[in-house]
Amino acid sequence: MTIDNDGDFKKALSGLSPAQQRMAAARFAENVLELTRDARIKRTIESAKLDTISDEELGTAFQFAKAASVDSYTQCGHECDWNKQAGHFVAEAALASIKPADGNNPAWDAAMHARMARTCARIAAGNGTHNREDAAQYRILAEFLNS
Amino acid sequence: MTASLDKGISVLKEMIDAPIASYFSSCVHCGLCAEACLFYTETGDPKYTPIHKLKPLRRVYQQEYTLLGRFAKMLGLSKPVTDSELEEWKPLVYDSCTLCGRCSMVCPVGNDIVYMVRRLREGMAISGHAPDGLIGASRRAVEIGSPMGVKLAAVQAQMKHVRQDTGIEIPLDAAGAEYMLIMSSMEIINFPEYLGAIARIMKQAGKSWTLCSEAFEATNSGIQIGVSDIARVLVQRIVDGAEKLKVKTVISPECGHAYTALRWEGPNLIGRPYTFDVLHILEVLDGFHKEGLFKTSGFEDERLTFHDPCQLVRRGGVFDEPRNLLKLVAKDFVEMSDAGKMNWCCGGGGGVSAIEEAEQLRLQAFKIKKSQLEQTGAKTLVTACANCRIVIEEGLEHYKMHIPVVGLTETLADHLVEGEKP
Repeated sequence: MTIDNDGDFKKALSGLSPAQQRMAAARFAENVLELTRDARIKRTIESAKLDTISDEELGTAFQFAKAASVDSYTQCGHECDWNKQAGHFVAEAALASIKPADGNNPAWDAAMHARMARTCARIAAGNGTHNREDAAQYRILAEFLNS
Repeated sequence: MTASLDKGISVLKEMIDAPIASYFSSCVHCGLCAEACLFYTETGDPKYTPIHKLKPLRRVYQQEYTLLGRFAKMLGLSKPVTDSELEEWKPLVYDSCTLCGRCSMVCPVGNDIVYMVRRLREGMAISGHAPDGLIGASRRAVEIGSPMGVKLAAVQAQMKHVRQDTGIEIPLDAAGAEYMLIMSSMEIINFPEYLGAIARIMKQAGKSWTLCSEAFEATNSGIQIGVSDIARVLVQRIVDGAEKLKVKTVISPECGHAYTALRWEGPNLIGRPYTFDVLHILEVLDGFHKEGLFKTSGFEDERLTFHDPCQLVRRGGVFDEPRNLLKLVAKDFVEMSDAGKMNWCCGGGGGVSAIEEAEQLRLQAFKIKKSQLEQTGAKTLVTACANCRIVIEEGLEHYKMHIPVVGLTETLADHLVEGEKP
């Protein structure tokens, strides 16, 4: 299966089961994991990638990701450190992967957060905002679906 | 202007206008303002009594504008305000006051204590006794255009992100649009979902709107630090952008101070009326719904409650609109105790969240919000201010309460019926 645009990408994601959504979302977050040093996020992603996960493990992973997300907000009036903000969106991507299902498309949400993380990292590096995280995600999803 | 005590005292003298004089002369020292202040109620420390925070301003008032005070000063019985005193008062005037206005609401003689704190902050800032966090935010707001250092490229990146997420192109510098949207840096940096929600609702409502490349920032750090000259520059930037694009209405975002600064104080700051209207986003959305411009479907199943941002409800009068909108999406909506005009502040308004030294006190003061929330049994907290949202999330995390905090605009967009004409 080849995916090369957001329309097909979103459609493919929406057809996944909740467990597949979680695992795909975790892979999107993992692809930007290099942008954070927060060990809680790594642990959340590892949990979310498991084929099966207990409610207890999900709850723990959720709390880890939520705490990492809250800790990494840029507060009102503080100068934005775009590297740290990239870390915040990695946390948000991880959080999206294990959020309680609400009928939406959590894998798409995770993909969007991961793209924001990459954009923030580009701003921090002074390299504009253009990046190809979307193309990387198309590839990751295709590999996941083909595995 | 270079900070100095002389300039600060001079500014304080200028700040004492007729209302300030009447407030000081009519204060009956009843202490009711103390019971209304979250910093006093949560610490029990009398130094956090609102009227006590104004002591340096009162001293200047007495020494300069009362007969007995002048005699006392001449005879050396009343010492002038010093740098060390102002430095000592800095945490009282900034760290422990969110300008929430609850004290003003309960004053039996009608003193607007927040107005007095704001005037005192003018002198504190000019004399070099404002917190570093607010000084930095104000400098960035003037020099860069955002208190958090956000530049247009970051806004454009978010516009692109929203286009990817929703498929909707975000208009920029569209002259003649009906609405001009301004955002807080908090929304640009932390909450891209806000802009996406607006884009979807505007599309469904069939309204023309735009962002402005020269005036995308709504936050007014000048109001928070207490420097009217800065506040004026920041308001003027928005006015210039809106008038250049000839929009009919500027939409203030989910941010408390941005709304009061632009809508209620802006015309006085720039010395003339606007050529456009200013509405808070919730007023706009409530108006759209009343006109039948959008529909919603489905409801949030779990119990919701709403945190009223102080500047919105108490200082701004936006009370019914959020509740009208919540009725569209909430089956089980419960009010917090003291909801509405007497709601308790999140603890981070008035620039407090920008002051690192204030963090522990802020978390201590948050206990009242925690208690309010526990009483409701709500499973989700909705609010309409990005700063309140983060301050509350941090407070909840600190106290190990796991309640999601969401913005009202995006909650509404989650239930938007898209595609069909309403």
